[in-house]
Amino acid sequence: MRDSLRGARKISDAELVEQACSGDDRAFGTLVRRHHASAYRVALSITRRDDIAQDVVQDAFIKAFRALGGFRGDSSFRTWMMTVTANEARATLRKRGRWNESSIEVVGPLETSAPDPAEQAVVGQESARARAMLDTLPEKQRLAISARIDEGLSFREIASLIGSSEGAARVNYFHGIRRLRELME
Amino acid sequence: MNEIDCAKVRDCLPDFASGRIENHRSVTIESHLLSCEDCQSELELIQILRAASPVVPVLLADQIENAVFSSRRPWNRSPWGLSAAALLALAVGVGLSRDRPEVIQDVVYDFGVDPEQGELWLTEDSFLAGDLWIEGLSNETLMKLLEELEGEGAE
Repeated sequence: MRDSLRGARKISDAELVEQACSGDDRAFGTLVRRHHASAYRVALSITRRDDIAQDVVQDAFIKAFRALGGFRGDSSFRTWMMTVTANEARATLRKRGRWNESSIEVVGPLETSAPDPAEQAVVGQESARARAMLDTLPEKQRLAISARIDEGLSFREIASLIGSSEGAARVNYFHGIRRLRELME
Repeated sequence: MNEIDCAKVRDCLPDFASGRIENHRSVTIESHLLSCEDCQSELELIQILRAASPVVPVLLADQIENAVFSSRRPWNRSPWGLSAAALLALAVGVGLSRDRPEVIQDVVYDFGVDPEQGELWLTEDSFLAGDLWIEGLSNETLMKLLEELEGEGAE
């Protein structure tokens, strides 16, 4: 939809999935390039470890590639891929026995866009602190926040991602935001 | 009234912060933000979080592509492996249909595969099982295997 609004012909995810199912590797490669960033952020949100998140995303795409024929298109490929990644991340954590780990080990390199260096430093510090606080929230809350803010997912899509109702997704997001605001004060 | 407005505005704040919102709604939100400190504060938090959005490793996409395509099933990667597996399964199947278990055992046990374990038969998704051990064989061994199979078939 968004693609068609831009006027220029950009092949849709659905078309790429169809082509990939027919054996076109380049089509799947394009899907990887379009959606690996979202998948990575989901994995990072759950695992809180960059190295684990990278492994998770890799495994998630391998599984998605093998299961592509079973993708029914009920949701967008992006949402499906993020859900596959979330499941893979949880499975990985279970295997590693890290479910209850509470330490904050990872905040990715900061993306700073403020033009003024002094301001940039302040924004960077605040952002790093906010991300660190985000990592202390329960998984569903931080995943809901990350999916809503970083990826722009709707609450319906977030519900699919965290395995809950749309209402629960909304509650997780707003509870998380409220808690973050308290922590940041 | 302001509470209702706040709820609607907060729903949209992430989209507003990232510019994923229509112009007319954007104006409405901006207008609300001017008079609502609470929503302003929430928007600031969202902007702070956005500024620290994790940066994706530069080479991750390449790594994923490499992993995906190198992990594909062997029959996709190697037409030779596929044809060998197909020929082997066909030949063994023919052997079975002729009720000649001794032929099957000769072939199977030479390469450490037990047909009783179902390693040589079609799987549910119609792909050939047993391909993995064939994939690991050298061309020389495969040729020898095929010669044996052809020999058995000619008898």
